[in-house]
Amino acid sequence: MAPTPLDTRTETEALAQRREELQGLEPAVVAPSEPPVLQTRDLSIWYGSQRALDRVTLDLPARRVTAIIGPSGCGKSTFLRALNRMNDLIPGVRTEGEVLFHGQNIYAKGVDPVEVRRRIGMVFQKPNPFPKSIYENVAFGLRINGYRDRLDERVEEALRRAALWDEVKDFLHKKSGLDLSGGQQQRLCIARALAVQPEVLLMDEPASALDPIATARIEDLIHELKEEVTIVIVTHNMQQAARVSDYTAFLYLGRLVEFGPTAQLFENPIRKQTEDYITGKFG
Amino acid sequence: MGAKTKTKAAVRRGLRRRRALGALFAGVALGALLLGLLVLLVLIATTALQSTQLVAMRATADAGLSLSLRTLQLGPRGGGTAGFFPYVTVARVAPGSPAEALGLRRGDALLRVGEVPVERVSDVWRAIAALPSGVERASIAWVPGRRGLLGSLRAVPVPDRPGEFRVVLSKVAPGSAAERAGLQPGDVLVEAGGLPITGTQQAWQALVVAARTQGGKVPLTIEREGERLTAVLDVERRGELPFQRSLLRAYGAFLTSLNEPRYPEHAGLASAFLGSLYVILVTALVAFPLGIGAAVYLEEYARRGVLTEILQILIANLAGVPSVIYGIIGLEILARSLGLGRSILAGGITLALLVLPIMIIAAREALRTVPPSVREAAYGVGATRWQVIRHHVLPYALPGIFTGMILALSRALGEAAPLLLLGAFLYVSYVPQSLWDSFTVIPLQIFDWATKPQEGFAEVAAASIVVLLVLLLLLNGTAIWLRNRYQKRWS
Repeated sequence: MAPTPLDTRTETEALAQRREELQGLEPAVVAPSEPPVLQTRDLSIWYGSQRALDRVTLDLPARRVTAIIGPSGCGKSTFLRALNRMNDLIPGVRTEGEVLFHGQNIYAKGVDPVEVRRRIGMVFQKPNPFPKSIYENVAFGLRINGYRDRLDERVEEALRRAALWDEVKDFLHKKSGLDLSGGQQQRLCIARALAVQPEVLLMDEPASALDPIATARIEDLIHELKEEVTIVIVTHNMQQAARVSDYTAFLYLGRLVEFGPTAQLFENPIRKQTEDYITGKFG
Repeated sequence: MGAKTKTKAAVRRGLRRRRALGALFAGVALGALLLGLLVLLVLIATTALQSTQLVAMRATADAGLSLSLRTLQLGPRGGGTAGFFPYVTVARVAPGSPAEALGLRRGDALLRVGEVPVERVSDVWRAIAALPSGVERASIAWVPGRRGLLGSLRAVPVPDRPGEFRVVLSKVAPGSAAERAGLQPGDVLVEAGGLPITGTQQAWQALVVAARTQGGKVPLTIEREGERLTAVLDVERRGELPFQRSLLRAYGAFLTSLNEPRYPEHAGLASAFLGSLYVILVTALVAFPLGIGAAVYLEEYARRGVLTEILQILIANLAGVPSVIYGIIGLEILARSLGLGRSILAGGITLALLVLPIMIIAAREALRTVPPSVREAAYGVGATRWQVIRHHVLPYALPGIFTGMILALSRALGEAAPLLLLGAFLYVSYVPQSLWDSFTVIPLQIFDWATKPQEGFAEVAAASIVVLLVLLLLLNGTAIWLRNRYQKRWS
């Protein structure tokens, strides 16, 4: 028998049903014991008239790794980019609610988004080094933030923290950031973000464009970095979330469904939607 | 069963038709391409061929000659041959030149260069151009001017016949052909080589024309004391004149000499060349910053809204406004209202206005090619908007911006219409010294020369076209070089 085309009707119906289930459902939150660095309060985001994020309230604990998981289009990248006002750069985005950084709303009037981004760094899905030398890639952030002295030292420190120093120390000035392999490029981007000493590092699927070995190195790096930096990582890959994170938030259709310690969320989810997602029933 | 085969046939037909359409399209496209190539080749070939005459023209100028075309008009009244007989005279001999050393003087008439009889000025150039390569001298034959050939002539009215003159030799020049032929003062010149003599200048002209058609020894009928005598006048003088033919030299001299309204062999492009360079410099200095600034504003700062939309439409429309209109703007606003006059400054700004929309559009395209990831990366480490633009967006887009700018400038370089309207001069006999000087540009100079009726100016115009084309090629080459160089560095 010929394969039948995708039954879109039932898909739509299933989606509508799940949306209905979510309505009025309070997020199941197991509050972390550590003090929060970043907190969101009823954070909603619209792209034009379309709501991408619906009243998300979440505390992100200091010096821990928090993973944001969920199917495509659930708003996890939008959520992450809201944490350091990267969404400001996209025309037509409207943000409501609050994001508190050490208790201070970063969307309040008088807050400089540039300063917010310096203290809350970001690593993107696709490695995006500048088309400049490796050294200049790391030094750029330092220069524009007013570091004038001990640049070499700071660049080396950042590269060491990103576990890249030994691989690139011989051609810091000679090679462009684009000459490196994909995994090295991503670690260079991490070094670039670390150079300006951010307190929080936001990572948007940092390993999705990398091979398994490079991915493993990034994950090891995340383990080391969480000693000093709070990390929020968006990932598609549930195994990765389970491996690297201490806490996990599950977003679905723009809403926070469940948030809690990673082990608990994966082994013993409270919500049925969470269980369906992590067992692969949809997504 | 029948229906099925029908469907199959229909399908086959459909397929065939689509293939045929594709082939038709490919054929038309290929034809258009070939036609374009052909036109381009013909254009280059004709221009290059016309301009090769420049070498010979410059060689005559180098030898010290300025030539002009004269005509002997013989009316039917005198009987015999009637009609127009062109001949070439030496209009100027440069002091200290080889021509002067050879004995050529102002007013002499050229008979032959090499073996080529000279009727028109272009015959001289053609003869020089036809010399075998390596031969840098040609034998020339000429008839000395009236005073050198004969002496002084006087027209004496014929009694009872108003309007008619007898030409009397009043003084015989020492060492002249007339003296050698035994002519004496008081002799009346009647006929030269079968042509009746009716005037003093015409007498000499008749000798020149006769010498060309009949050879150097011209029979001259005179009347002495009522008696008709025939003297044979050896009018022709010969010598070897060096001609240096060199393409480089010719173009070098062409580019460094001033314009010359009468003698195309001396006409140079210096004023127009420098005028073009200065005007383009002003255009670049005005249009670069404005173009980049406007593009950066529109791409990076302006909020998307009705106002931006209107701005964009206006800019796109401005790019399509005929260039003559910009000339009117330049004349009315720059030259008159702002009092810049017909200066290089006014011309440069007019052209800057003309190319500004093109530059803005090109720069915006270039800015749009900067991947968002680069911006995000820079913003992500806490860069301000200006830092992102200054350190990442502009350097990334600059090769593209420059390419667009240079192409826009090369359009400005070829513009004649707006400057014509602004009131740029067609004839400038000096090299512009300051931005306030009046000027001309290469396209205008081409226009001026191409419309001159005298021989040789078409060739000079062709040579200017070659100069303009080379300039444009250089500019476009620079654009391509810049783009390749920076593309390599950044990817």
